[in-house]
Amino acid sequence: MKYSSESAQEKRRGFLDPRTKIALTVCMAVFVLGGLGGTVMEPVKNALSVLPFLLLLIEKQWNRFLRGFMMLAIGYGLLFLMPHLQGTLQFVALMCGGILTRFVVTVVMGEYLVGTTSVSEFISAMERLHMPQEITIPMSVMFRLFPTIGAEWKSIRRAMGMRGISLGGVRAGQLLEYQMVPMMTSSVRIGEELSASALTRGLGAPVKRTNICRIGFRIQDILLLFVCIVTVVLWIMSLCGVALWNN
Amino acid sequence: MVELKNVSFRYGAEEVEDKYENSLCEINLTVSKGEFLLLTGPSGCGKTTILRLINGLIPQFYHGDVTGAVLVDGVNISGRELYENALLVGTVFQNPRTQFYNVDTTCELAFGCENQGVSETEIYSRIDSTVAHFQMKDLMERNIFHLSDGEKQKIACASVDVAGTEIILLDEPSANLDHKSTLMLRELIKKWKDAGKTIIAAEHRIAYLWDLIDRAVILREGRIIRELKGEEKDTVTIDRLKKMGLRTTIMEDPSQIKFPMIKDGDQIISIRDFRFSYRGAERAVIDIPELSIAEGEITAIVGKNGAGKTSLLNCICGLEKRCKGTLVYKGKFYSRRDRKKLVFMVMQDTGNQLFTESVLDEVLISLPKGTSDEKGRAMQILKDLDLDGFTDRHPQSLSGGQKQRLAIACAIASGREILLLDEPTSGLDYAHMEETAQLMKNLRKKGTTILVVTHDSELIHNCCGRILSV
Repeated sequence: MKYSSESAQEKRRGFLDPRTKIALTVCMAVFVLGGLGGTVMEPVKNALSVLPFLLLLIEKQWNRFLRGFMMLAIGYGLLFLMPHLQGTLQFVALMCGGILTRFVVTVVMGEYLVGTTSVSEFISAMERLHMPQEITIPMSVMFRLFPTIGAEWKSIRRAMGMRGISLGGVRAGQLLEYQMVPMMTSSVRIGEELSASALTRGLGAPVKRTNICRIGFRIQDILLLFVCIVTVVLWIMSLCGVALWNN
Repeated sequence: MVELKNVSFRYGAEEVEDKYENSLCEINLTVSKGEFLLLTGPSGCGKTTILRLINGLIPQFYHGDVTGAVLVDGVNISGRELYENALLVGTVFQNPRTQFYNVDTTCELAFGCENQGVSETEIYSRIDSTVAHFQMKDLMERNIFHLSDGEKQKIACASVDVAGTEIILLDEPSANLDHKSTLMLRELIKKWKDAGKTIIAAEHRIAYLWDLIDRAVILREGRIIRELKGEEKDTVTIDRLKKMGLRTTIMEDPSQIKFPMIKDGDQIISIRDFRFSYRGAERAVIDIPELSIAEGEITAIVGKNGAGKTSLLNCICGLEKRCKGTLVYKGKFYSRRDRKKLVFMVMQDTGNQLFTESVLDEVLISLPKGTSDEKGRAMQILKDLDLDGFTDRHPQSLSGGQKQRLAIACAIASGREILLLDEPTSGLDYAHMEETAQLMKNLRKKGTTILVVTHDSELIHNCCGRILSV
């Protein structure tokens, strides 16, 4: 069959636009993790907490879903057990349970964001948000550079082991210095070669860049962005002293 | 199409590595439309510098003093921005690992066009035609970090093809490639030639494109010393090329060289139960119940990119923690830990294994503890390897060949009896290749066992006595 890059890109398109994912993550971090809005907002937070798990299921990220679900279950289990425990144990259960129930949801949301967004989608989203090139270009270079430098680091550590330079080996005191020297030289070299190649391919031309990444708001994005807005509106209302619900 | 008129060039002071070499002197060169030109010559002759002048990286990215004029498509490029030049000239670089901007292959192919603001539908149709033309459907939508070097280089060529420039520059694109990938590269270049593109290649390994080129320009120390074309090019003998410091024009698959793995009467080093797979991967890269290597000989390890040759070296060296296995040498058993004191490896990126601030210091830290007259011994080793003029230089400021010699000096100093080399001659000219071969032969005479991973058939013929195919 003839290859079509357009339909391949369409098939790879994520369920949500990266911008929606970012908005949701920020919302989670502020309200669920940061605890903004206090106890009044509790029902809203509970509703928000379900979302990342649902999204992971939709994108078939079973492993991430199970991991998150288990951590959350442990957290609630500890809080449930807590009243039946004594002394220090009770304190430990309270602390661990509290941290887990608070953190897990946001961490799961972050995992969803990282796990389902490709670098090009992310950059494309940044461009649509009208971030200037001065920010998006260094960012995309960073994504590109980390794995490369990671591989370089590994190779240097190996070389040191082979040369017999290690803690307890020759000149252990200079270990750090010895690691840094080739690291610096090779990072500079890699950076230079990467930029040279990107420049010969026209990066930085003063035209509006196009991007073949398929992103854009669809019905699911609008729904979820609406959820975010509702959350913020409710919070402002509660700040203004409007009674949200009748207890 | 491309014209260099009386061009001279010297790198600026900040490009330390290139300061003394690679300058050009009064170059006159005209390349017509549709011509395939080869630039070749010993390391430091200035062939890469000429490519950089044509794609505009000199003087916009690498600074220095240029005199004379470089015309691309009739226009002097000195007044042109790099992104304007990108519409006319595409470049494939030497290192497959450092010429990617994206993480996935499809976006990488689109990158050049995206920068020019080409419409999305146009980009899609260009990608589709390149993919069909190069038959690379299986490489699409992949993570570039998971591709082999050969596949990466194919993506690099394809992205130049998608950008659709009339002039294509190739800067030693085959340096890291195995025999099969080199043949693949040859096919891609042939397609460009048939499509009427103007191609200028800088290469040491001239065999794979010798019959495709229209003209070969041979450089030495920044000057054009010869031009070969037509019948003269086709009938030139290998001996004459050698005299000009050039490599062979005969393409030979290293895995087809008929050397034995071991001969009768060889003392045997035996490797047992070597198994290794990458974390998370199901298939084992290395699975060797038992393997014999000839002691005191030079054995070439050949095989295609990604076959696990480098992993095998790492395992022998004891650098892969998850590879257990033992090595039997002179009747003694060596576990993974013990092997670290028996085996020395000269890595492909030699710069990554030099740590200190001076050449002398580098050798000193390699000497075993309690050596008498450390300094005298170190100086002697450096002298043997022609490095005694550089004792105070910073190892990272040496040239590629010198770094390699220094690493070998450290190996000698450490007194280890088995030496492994990973692609020691990739990107080396004839003279340097021969130098490395000679060094290996000298070490062998002193009783060192050498294993060398290589794609270089000339090196194998020059110094290896045994072959191991992976």
